Amino acid sequence: MTAITPGSRSRRPSKLGRLQPGLRNLMPYLICIGGFLIAWQILSLILGMARLPGPINVIVETWDPYISQPFFDDGGTSKGLGWQILISLQRVALGYGLAAVVGIAIGGVLGLNRFIGKGLDPVIQVLRTVPPLAWFPISLMVFQDANTSAIFVIFITAIWPIIINTAVGIREIPQDYTNVARVLRLRKGAYIRNIVIPATVPYVFTGLRISVGLAWLAIVAAEMLKADGGIGYFIWDAYNAGGDSSSSQIILAIIYVGVVGLALDRLVAYVGSRVAKGGN
Amino acid sequence: MALPLLTVDDVTQVFPLDDGGRYVALKDIDLTIAEGEFISLIGHSGCGKSTLLNLMAGLNQASTGGILMDGRQVTDPGPDRMVVFQNYSLLPWQTVRQNIALAVDNVMTGSSEAERRERIEQSIQLVGLGAAADKFPGELSGGMKQRVAIARALAIRPRLLLLDEPFGALDALTRGNLQQQLMQICQQAGVTTVMVTHDVDEALLLSDRVVCLTNGPEAGIGQILNVPLPRPRQRLDVMDHPDYYHLRSELISFLQQQRRLKQRKQSRPSVVPVAAPAVQTVRLGYLPGLDIAPLAMAMDRGLLQQRGLELKPVAFDRWQTLEDQLKAGELDVAITSATTPLALTLGLGGQGAWPAVTPMTVTRSGNALCLARRFSDLGIQDLGSLAAQIKGTGTRLRLAVAHKGNMQELLLRHWLASGGIDPDRDVELMALSPMAMEATLRAGEIDGFIAGRYRVAKALEAGLVTLLATDLDIWSDHPEKVLTCHENWALNHQDALLDLSAALMRGGQLCEDPAEHDHLVGLLGASQWLGKGSALALQSQFDFGSDVPSGVRLPLNRFHSDRAHLANSAEGSWILSQFSRWGWSPFPSNRLELLSHVYRSDLCSRALERAGFADLRPERAPFALADGLAFDQDNPLDYLKQLPYSRATALESIPLPSGSSQRPLAAH
Repeated sequence: MTAITPGSRSRRPSKLGRLQPGLRNLMPYLICIGGFLIAWQILSLILGMARLPGPINVIVETWDPYISQPFFDDGGTSKGLGWQILISLQRVALGYGLAAVVGIAIGGVLGLNRFIGKGLDPVIQVLRTVPPLAWFPISLMVFQDANTSAIFVIFITAIWPIIINTAVGIREIPQDYTNVARVLRLRKGAYIRNIVIPATVPYVFTGLRISVGLAWLAIVAAEMLKADGGIGYFIWDAYNAGGDSSSSQIILAIIYVGVVGLALDRLVAYVGSRVAKGGN
Repeated sequence: MALPLLTVDDVTQVFPLDDGGRYVALKDIDLTIAEGEFISLIGHSGCGKSTLLNLMAGLNQASTGGILMDGRQVTDPGPDRMVVFQNYSLLPWQTVRQNIALAVDNVMTGSSEAERRERIEQSIQLVGLGAAADKFPGELSGGMKQRVAIARALAIRPRLLLLDEPFGALDALTRGNLQQQLMQICQQAGVTTVMVTHDVDEALLLSDRVVCLTNGPEAGIGQILNVPLPRPRQRLDVMDHPDYYHLRSELISFLQQQRRLKQRKQSRPSVVPVAAPAVQTVRLGYLPGLDIAPLAMAMDRGLLQQRGLELKPVAFDRWQTLEDQLKAGELDVAITSATTPLALTLGLGGQGAWPAVTPMTVTRSGNALCLARRFSDLGIQDLGSLAAQIKGTGTRLRLAVAHKGNMQELLLRHWLASGGIDPDRDVELMALSPMAMEATLRAGEIDGFIAGRYRVAKALEAGLVTLLATDLDIWSDHPEKVLTCHENWALNHQDALLDLSAALMRGGQLCEDPAEHDHLVGLLGASQWLGKGSALALQSQFDFGSDVPSGVRLPLNRFHSDRAHLANSAEGSWILSQFSRWGWSPFPSNRLELLSHVYRSDLCSRALERAGFADLRPERAPFALADGLAFDQDNPLDYLKQLPYSRATALESIPLPSGSSQRPLAAH
């Protein structure tokens, strides 16, 4: 073997390696997203701007007022996208908040009581597979009000994962912890406070996180069917208007919907990780 | 010995299986733990160590039997029996201090806030975790977590500390430090401790006693080893102690034997269900004597036909012939001396080893030693005068036994040795057919013999001999005759063997019934058993020329009562010690393996069940023979060392004969 003198193997740093570390981390995103935008632009050139506006057209056509003024209000349903999103978020907050409270309570009962848990399981398994919009007509008939119905659809869509995960979380409390409770003869209150709740929190937040995604999916669909205001309504309204910039407005709204959905998911995940301190 | 804190009384634990079956995890566990003791439970994985620990903790309830703590039954878990679980079981969402506080606050409800704070801090300091008190378990190493778990357990001052493989997951260095710490803490706190482990050195370092569990299913206590190393112990000092390596090899050999048994069980061919004929003929060999009374009774009452078993009893007049026929497969089973199954399995006397098993003891006691009349005229009436005569005159008595190495010879040798007579030098022992003894004595070729009471009674009736001792003086209730067959026959004809055993058990019960006695005497007079002349001797034999008025029956043979039927491997252990004492065989270092193979207590249990009797177990307590030395089945080597005239050779592991050949192995 030939001796390797130190330094003789100095590698030429790659191009990526010579960039600033912060920039280097961003490189994959920049390249891939750039590629995606270029592909989109090419596709729009092929299909024609009228059918599928490219990214540049979208920004140009919606800059004023939708991007530059998110909070304009011309009265009626003609509002900025910021307002529309807030209207949707408000509905989600109500429906989802209700689903969280009711879902954790029901899940808690199902988890702590084997009998009820077993008996109701088939009902839950059937109902949770019902698509959100299938609930819409019946809730309209019951509530006679589009806004309440939309909130109900959010509620009924979001509640199942919360129930199921809470119940499973309680049932899956590791035997080790319940054994500790038994040996120490923990009283019921102390047991629930010190063991059941902390052990179940990660499961509950998994349920909440799945639910928030479902709720956001459901609200957009519900608003498209029947509502006044909200991001779903905005999309449907833009489509019906059939103006020159309609496609661009729809695309912009879709991007907003996606970004807000992602933000909601991350928010719940963050709260979950803060609440379940020290866990796992 | 301090007061018992915890008593495990006859505990059996059965778990239901998913397929509807049952898994017997623990069977018949008896254990008494004294206040302040440190006990280790050791055994292979799956042997039920943790199951037993959970039962002690009260986390599970025993299927049968019970656990007593301070005389009160343990029905649920409680902080007086604190457990340190295998995986620490710290709550990950609470800091070290909070974890300990949860236990302290919940248990010390009568104390003030300040007292509880103090106890918590003190416990944290005890295990040296002051710096980590506010960390979460997830931020700690395995060793630190285990220290927290121990601190939490000790903080609430339990009466009993239960540790489930506490150091299993730790590296060697951490483990060593923690063991030392635990030992100090336990000693300072004086807390009684039970620890599950599979580490032999750990068990020896920490324990006062090591309880070895046999393999599951139906795990039981195989051995209890006392660890008499002085305290306080230091790891290095302990290893230098002269007893250490002996104790260590005891434990290791126990574990190795269990491993081999496990492998053997796995490799055993599964029973091929042979289309069994409606009536099965079983050839049973015996030598006429009172020991066959249960058999005669069982046949008379049709106890065997009831079970679809046709028994063909074959009488022999020499034990050697019977053994040869049994080994040649001419006989299926035999009623033999209690020593025969082990003697055959060891291949004693230069013969090939033959894997014998015994499912039950047929009779206990019933032997007597007699000397020709002329010796009583010389004033020899007991062991003392016999010894004086031998020492004084240098006479070398010729004494007969029915078969070399049988129970009678072991008893005779033991008795002689206890009186200062060397059975190999001071007397001459010879084997003789029991039927020929009386005539040979009459001819003056022997000076006395040890035999069943019927033979002795006949010689007494004839006025030829005087009674020197009965086995009640030597070892009351010793196993005398057992049922013996080949391992494979027991496997392939298990049903027949169980039926036969059950019938003999029922027959034994009838033999002890006073109302049946006259009938039994008449029955034994049949030519098939003892013959016509027997009635007279039988009616008066209980007398034996002693002062006991005729008609008072001395309890010489025991056929049924007081757990007579049990195949007791502790007795087998004693037999092995005697084989070794007289230099016939090295003491097997794998004795438990050998014994569990020969003494089929599982078959005994099932036969008892079939016969409708309670499935009782032998006492574990040491027993003593004529010389008063206690024989502890857990420490036979100590016993062997104390015996006079011992020719015991070194320990040797004795391979079990292969069960695959029905024919005898290449003999000689």
